[in-house]
Amino acid sequence: ESQFVWQSGTGARLIQDRGRVSVCARPGQGAGSPAEASSGGGAYPSVPLSCPLPGVPKAVFAAAEGRERFETRVSVLENGLRVASQNKFGQFCTVGLLVNSGSRHEAKYLSGISHFLEKLAFSSTAQFGSKDEILLTLEKHGGICDCQASRDTIMYAVSAEARGLDTVVNLLADVALRPRLSDEEIEMTRAAIRFELEDLNMRPDPEPLLTEMIHAAAYRDNTVGLNRFCPVENTDKIGRDVLHSYLRNYYTPDRMVLAGVGIEHEQLVECARKHLLGVEPVWGSGQARDVDRSVAQYTGGIVKVEKDMSDVSLGPTPIPELTHIMIGLESCSFLEEDFIPFAVLNMMMGGGGSFSAGGPGKGMFTRLYLNVLNRHHWMYNATSYHHSYEDTGLLCIHASADPKQVREMVEIITREFILMAGDVGEVELERAKTQLKSMLMMNLESRPVIFEDVGRQVLATNTRKLPHELCALISQVKSTDIKRVVTKMLHKKPAVAALGDLTDLPTYEHIQAALSSRDGRLPLVYRLFR
Amino acid sequence: MAASTAGSAARRLFLPWSARLLRAASSGHRCVHVGTGRLRASKAATEVILNVPETRVSPLENGMQVASEDSGLSTCTVGLWIDAGSRYENEKNNGTAHFLEHMAFKGTKKRSQLDLELEIENMGAHLNAYTSREQTVYYAKAFSKDLPRAVEILADIIQNSTLGEAEIERERGVILREMQEVETNLQEVVFDYLHATAYQKTALGRTILGPTENIKSINRNDLVEYITTHYKGPRMVLAAAGGVSHDELLDLAKCHFGNLPSAPEGGLPPLPPCHFTGSEIRIRDDKMPLAYMAIAVEAAGWSHPDTIPLMVANTLIGNWDRSFGGGVSLSSKLAQVACHGNLCHSFQSFNTCYTDTGLWGLYMVCEPSTIQDMVHFVQREWMRLCTNVTENEVARAKNLLKTNMLLQLDGSTPICEDIGRQMLCYKRRIPIPELEARIEAIDAQTIREVCTKYIYEKHPAVAAVGPIEQLPEYNKICSGMHWLQE
Repeated sequence: ESQFVWQSGTGARLIQDRGRVSVCARPGQGAGSPAEASSGGGAYPSVPLSCPLPGVPKAVFAAAEGRERFETRVSVLENGLRVASQNKFGQFCTVGLLVNSGSRHEAKYLSGISHFLEKLAFSSTAQFGSKDEILLTLEKHGGICDCQASRDTIMYAVSAEARGLDTVVNLLADVALRPRLSDEEIEMTRAAIRFELEDLNMRPDPEPLLTEMIHAAAYRDNTVGLNRFCPVENTDKIGRDVLHSYLRNYYTPDRMVLAGVGIEHEQLVECARKHLLGVEPVWGSGQARDVDRSVAQYTGGIVKVEKDMSDVSLGPTPIPELTHIMIGLESCSFLEEDFIPFAVLNMMMGGGGSFSAGGPGKGMFTRLYLNVLNRHHWMYNATSYHHSYEDTGLLCIHASADPKQVREMVEIITREFILMAGDVGEVELERAKTQLKSMLMMNLESRPVIFEDVGRQVLATNTRKLPHELCALISQVKSTDIKRVVTKMLHKKPAVAALGDLTDLPTYEHIQAALSSRDGRLPLVYRLFR
Repeated sequence: MAASTAGSAARRLFLPWSARLLRAASSGHRCVHVGTGRLRASKAATEVILNVPETRVSPLENGMQVASEDSGLSTCTVGLWIDAGSRYENEKNNGTAHFLEHMAFKGTKKRSQLDLELEIENMGAHLNAYTSREQTVYYAKAFSKDLPRAVEILADIIQNSTLGEAEIERERGVILREMQEVETNLQEVVFDYLHATAYQKTALGRTILGPTENIKSINRNDLVEYITTHYKGPRMVLAAAGGVSHDELLDLAKCHFGNLPSAPEGGLPPLPPCHFTGSEIRIRDDKMPLAYMAIAVEAAGWSHPDTIPLMVANTLIGNWDRSFGGGVSLSSKLAQVACHGNLCHSFQSFNTCYTDTGLWGLYMVCEPSTIQDMVHFVQREWMRLCTNVTENEVARAKNLLKTNMLLQLDGSTPICEDIGRQMLCYKRRIPIPELEARIEAIDAQTIREVCTKYIYEKHPAVAAVGPIEQLPEYNKICSGMHWLQE
């Protein structure tokens, strides 16, 4: 019943050909005096943007030399809260509170608390009557705020003009420790979470869902295997009391880092002492009693979701039906030395979509392009991911193809895992190392990324490995390191996530057998009737 | 819009965490505009001190501009911004600018495609390109120490591209596939329809990719002709940011771009006129779950003084997504209404500028049953801008606009893009204090006047796809463009 209507021509042409604005007012005319008023008679100057506005103060710019000095400083307050800072050139700073709290800590609670806290962040607090009041306060300092919860950390962050630091830290302290969590706000959060879950299921890109599934498979019922998204049935059950009980245990100063980029360390420490020392949280300051200190237990296993993916397109243009698989093995935590070889390995595997935008530099000579996508044109995607936490890590490959070719696709991926333990060419290793270093340095151009790096490293280790130190470590990786970490990894049971039409999916036992074989092949299946 | 953009830099982060934190919420991705620094300059001051590096600009003899900002990083972005896009095409060769962009990485007289790819990948660099309706951009990201090689490669790919017949044939398939990809993105689809109706029978109405028959027929001659007509010194900017020395960049430019032709005898080709027509396109498809719609009026071109007030107005309307909940855009009245009335899944105000025209409007995604109410409240909000928007709201929107502009300038690529775009649009980079002053000069009166000039009683362009039975008919929408006492 598609209808095509093209109604035209009732509207008049709006503005007579204005042509290119190119002529500036004569120099001297009106310089220093109020510019010519616009047609409406208001005071707004009608000088085209291509011409300098008269009477504007002259800018004196900063010089470039010797500014980017990487030095991260860390102090610890009497209550155990850590304060970390990093200088950076620019008018703005990014400051935030990181808390060692995420979905992995929800074992004894209703799953979904972190998701709620993320959505509730920057709502009303003891000092600020509404979210709007918070935004208004930030706007005065050219600031914006954001909160992100992940499996192991929640971050409350603000970017604003550096001179607003005191206001910002006061705000962050209030947001984290003294939120009102009003009934209305909780009700709105329930709706927002339900909408988000709905959108997650509607989105054609299944990557977030697969990541959730493979974590559940790899760490069955524990720590980072717990749901990151609030299960829909819990949205009505989570309320202020549950949240307070959780917050009392986890939002303690010893689990927090106040990190800042683009500010002076002494100033940040001073603000922290003023606003984060001796503050009574709204949930009371009783001893934390129930902190979950479980260490991630890698179990391996499979999580399958049968789903009709034949029509995931939201519009009239069809998206081909795909079955998605993700196969992973335990790697290591980001605290171990082997983290660096694993990161290089992940870069070397690379991959992406068979049809992806972007020119040279996207990893065209990574193994998943060379060995997989360039050879098997029916495959839609093959991408390597490395998730890493303080006590474990997961290296996995996502692949997708037509449901009829699932078996073949699985075998191609298991063979790639086995090949990882084989020879690594000098050229491909050097390329992967260079690309890893460039990716690191390019990501760290951005102030919020530096903030996150400083905060997370200090939260986990009390210090920060500086970018050039990381680059030096990357340079030292040898092909024997890759071989060593892969051999160790291949002794683990695989974690598998599968989504879509799974009729032809090999059994978990067969995938496991393939990964412990010499060539990565699936055991043969004899079928009388094909 | 940019047909083959950065692959969203979707490379995995080395650090185990990803960084989507605190991306400045631009008020609609289409209105990305002038960026500047921010400061509180007292009116009397004759000088202001900024904690950002200067943008240095030097012209070459052939008219090409070299512009850069040195922040001393160990990485950099360098690129070519060219005043040429699909607007300079006609019905027959529509798609050529974009086709050419695709051919840029397919080998030169000096480097085969494989050589080029290996060289870039082995140096840990990225090469990218995109085409819009008025601009074509080629840029590289690299370690700062590799700047000379990056500039040389850019010069090579745009001046010595082989444009081999075999590669051209192969690329047709790739572009057709890209077209399918674009068609699954309903926002792209709606904006293409919006342009098709708003600028019907003109060059801005055509798509960037061009129609299938053109993609199948564009030949080597078309590509060569496009280069010889448009890739001229005066229409190009070499921009760079990150760890780049301007003097070094200028020397590299002289060496590698010094031979580019300057303006031809007859002068540069004139800008084809593109008239706006208030009109609509409806693609009704009741099988789709959601309706995707855009409504826009004609706005001002890049350089027009009214552009800044229109951007403030755009910020006043704001944007919203239902997973935000009640937060984030509370400064937007429309967000409050949409949120409380459950009127849509998301909306985005936009202000898309071209040289001498622009589209100012709203993109929205709605359930079929809420379309009518949503459109009603959008128009009511627009009318309020024209008649009784308050000083308070305007002050807030001004602050937000400055914040968004400034926070976007984070990292060498956004800064380089800002320099390149401004150099093409304004022939200069607007200094921070000036942009501040221009925004500061706006008050509620300005907004009411400018909005009345562009919105009030104007016939909009409308594009809608999906289950849109409830979308009011065009005349009804037009009658919502003036104030009705309720």
